[in-house]
Amino acid sequence: MKASIFPKLARTGIIKNKKIYLPYILSGIGMVMMYYIVDFLSRADSVTSIKGGGNLSTILSMGKFVIAAFVLMFMLYTNSFLIRRRNKEFGLYNILGMDKKSITKIITWESLFVSVISIVFGLISGITFSKLSELALLYLTHSETNYKFAIPTDSIKFTVIVFAAIYFLLWIKSVIRVRRTDTLELMHSENTGEKPPKANWFFALVGVIALGIAYTMSITIKSPLSAIFSFLVAVILVIVGTYIVFMAGSVALCKILQKNKKYYYKKNHFVSVSSMAYRMKRNGAGLASICILSTMVLVMIASSASLYFGADDSIKARFPQQNQIECYISSFDKLTEENIAKVRSGYNDIFKKYNLTPENLTEYTYAEITALNSKKGFDTDASHVLDNMVIYDNLRQLYFTTVDEYNRVMGTNIHLNGNDIMVHTLRCSFDEKILQLGDVKLNVLGKLDSYPEFGNANVDVIPSIMVVVSNYNVIKPLETLADYNGDQMLDICWHYGYDLDKVDAQANEVFRAQVESLANYDITRHSSDGTGNSFSYNASCLAEERDDFYTTFGGLFFIGVLLSIIFIFAMAMIIYYKQISEGYEDQSRFEIMQKVGMTKKDIRQSINSQILTIFFAPLGFAMLHLAFAIPPIWKLLQLFNLQNLNLVLITTFIAIAVFAVFYAVIYKITARSYYNIVSEAKE
Amino acid sequence: MSYLEVNSIKKIYSTRFGGNKVEALHNVNFSVEQGEYVAIMGESGSGKTTLLNILAAILKPTSGSIILDGKEMSCIKDSEIAEFRRDNLGFVFQDFNLLDTFTLEDNIYLPLVLSGKSHAEMSKKLEPLAKALGIAQLLGKYPYEVSGGQKQRAAVARALITNPKLILADEPTGALDSKSTDELLNMFADINRSGQTIVMVTHSVKAASTANRVLFIKDGEVFHQIYRGNSTDEQLYQKISDTLTMLATGGDIK
Repeated sequence: MKASIFPKLARTGIIKNKKIYLPYILSGIGMVMMYYIVDFLSRADSVTSIKGGGNLSTILSMGKFVIAAFVLMFMLYTNSFLIRRRNKEFGLYNILGMDKKSITKIITWESLFVSVISIVFGLISGITFSKLSELALLYLTHSETNYKFAIPTDSIKFTVIVFAAIYFLLWIKSVIRVRRTDTLELMHSENTGEKPPKANWFFALVGVIALGIAYTMSITIKSPLSAIFSFLVAVILVIVGTYIVFMAGSVALCKILQKNKKYYYKKNHFVSVSSMAYRMKRNGAGLASICILSTMVLVMIASSASLYFGADDSIKARFPQQNQIECYISSFDKLTEENIAKVRSGYNDIFKKYNLTPENLTEYTYAEITALNSKKGFDTDASHVLDNMVIYDNLRQLYFTTVDEYNRVMGTNIHLNGNDIMVHTLRCSFDEKILQLGDVKLNVLGKLDSYPEFGNANVDVIPSIMVVVSNYNVIKPLETLADYNGDQMLDICWHYGYDLDKVDAQANEVFRAQVESLANYDITRHSSDGTGNSFSYNASCLAEERDDFYTTFGGLFFIGVLLSIIFIFAMAMIIYYKQISEGYEDQSRFEIMQKVGMTKKDIRQSINSQILTIFFAPLGFAMLHLAFAIPPIWKLLQLFNLQNLNLVLITTFIAIAVFAVFYAVIYKITARSYYNIVSEAKE
Repeated sequence: MSYLEVNSIKKIYSTRFGGNKVEALHNVNFSVEQGEYVAIMGESGSGKTTLLNILAAILKPTSGSIILDGKEMSCIKDSEIAEFRRDNLGFVFQDFNLLDTFTLEDNIYLPLVLSGKSHAEMSKKLEPLAKALGIAQLLGKYPYEVSGGQKQRAAVARALITNPKLILADEPTGALDSKSTDELLNMFADINRSGQTIVMVTHSVKAASTANRVLFIKDGEVFHQIYRGNSTDEQLYQKISDTLTMLATGGDIK
């Protein structure tokens, strides 16, 4: 056979099947474009050079990996559909005397055409849109933009390598598939009749139960950190449950409907219920995938958008004051007004040097310790505390301050003597009369309504108990407790916080100078690295960290949008191919129905109700999933100091609305191609 | 007036741009009395499928008229054609045309469901019918689970359940083995004896020999017809064979 015939056959094969090849190639182009853009951004100077750009690069590189993995799975799915459609033609070639080797050659040429076209056009469109997406990313991360245009050869190289590998795998799969099947199978592979499914009640029940458990887990999750683990379990249960429910549960539901003779033997239910029961087993998986993808898109967009739009709130919660320094003092003995006055005057000198005046200056002392809540009071054993660090429900962060400090900061007039204390709780309750902490025993006199914002208490995830003591001597025994490193477990702190009228580089410099000056005083606690020169502090500077917030949240949002676009794209393809294959299947079915006396109007109505159900069931389920996902998402977002539930809800609703519009558009387009195919057979 | 009257039917197929015209039916005239069992025979390309499609109201004739039980079929509006077909005609096809998504029972119910009948009414109708056709035990099965003959019996049940004025059968034995063919033809004869009018298009001499009358179509016209009279099936079979031979060799028929 002349060698030139193979590319020719491959070309006509693609052109004749353009209804299925065009979307395949287009999705290939889209995926290449997305991959190139993300790769480009992860290398772009403008991205890596922004503050916190390292984070962003990491996020983007991970996004790249997710995209590549997803593209591979998605392409395997669409490719199998393609092969199924083409096998008939190959079977004919085979019967006409073309051996499998030659068919393999045709497939090779086809793969070559498709992959080269996809990669070349994908790169072209990627390069075209790369600058635009760079600007979008820089805008989202509040970074400076430039107008240089670059085409990094590395990005092109890696994009080509990744996609060449993906297409190569697809080629291997197609070849194996054709080689394995014999001619007759090739001819009939599209028409192999399938048994109507039997309802598997057991599995249907398992699916419903899995979903039920997942839902209950997600709404009963208590604390955000332990939520991460439960959330993961719940996610897996939801995925498994969704697949089972769509595959077995839907068949079972149809069977129940069929058993109800009054309902089933109605003109508008009869055909749609039976054909849904028939196809749900196979299409259940597709629908479940669509449902999971939709849920992923919604969760991703809702949470990343909430983070992004709530960034200012988070920052405010995280940094009540622009510059905050928590200086760790080595012992209560060193915590004297005299010692602190020295540090304070040093700070004032620094302000003078920069010619700045601090506003809202706050200063107070306190001590804090993490302990395990047990029946016999609070356990301060370091190893017990450590054991509970991951699931921290039983840990308590205890804050102590003296009644004098409390009265001064809060403007109250409370008197306490000896071991008497008053408490205030955050994210937990405490109703004991005695507070036992290691060897220290304190009498709880009553509760306080408010408390100063000690350290990170507000944004911490561990439940906190604030204690006002008469003086620090009552908790002095705690001073000697040490963790496995030999470090003091009790943090004795002096807090110094203030605002400046501008968040800028100068604010940052003042802050740096003040933190570093701590080295000059011998009051600070030395950590265990042994040099004796180090000093402990916990400090935060808004000017320094705000950029980090924006780059992280902006980057997450950007990736969220990008991945959503890819997922929606993939979903559209899955739906499109599903509709087309169903269309070809239904052609003959509707022809028969017409012969038996079904009017075109009946047919259209039955198609409508069928498509509508099949189409919007995944969307409905996705929304249900999302509704149950909101409690844990909200708790996770609180870890990022997001405090505004309304913002999260509004963002979620907008995400749903936008997504639903996309979905409806996909529906319109694919439904039309379905009608076209089904009605082709009519005359 | 006869039960079914076919008057000077002409059907011309034209290609999309009206270039080539092919005359499938030239001038077809015949009539069928109530309770008659008529077989229509002819070679491939003689126009018998076209004729059946016209009788089934699937195709419209270029000219001529068809009157079923006093009703002129070309007067029926397009939107009512499907309904007309459902209520007045029963179909039996060569390839059964059962829906694989339905059990045999549901397949048989399909036309009744489309007419909006209640389930009780439908099952009352089905019971004697299924018994008579010998498929009572198979009703819960799906088409892929039963044999070709059983499928065809279900298809016959589907055609009969609406009590149609006319059964149109298109090569009903074409996809059956000889045993199933015999069974089906006996069934047709039984149905006919109970008063059902049947028009069957067939290639098979054997199938045609069970009819009361056989029409031969050639070149788009009714060329010849044979009445059974008092002949047995075997005698009719012989007559049909002779006629076909003569048709093929181009001889005249007296």
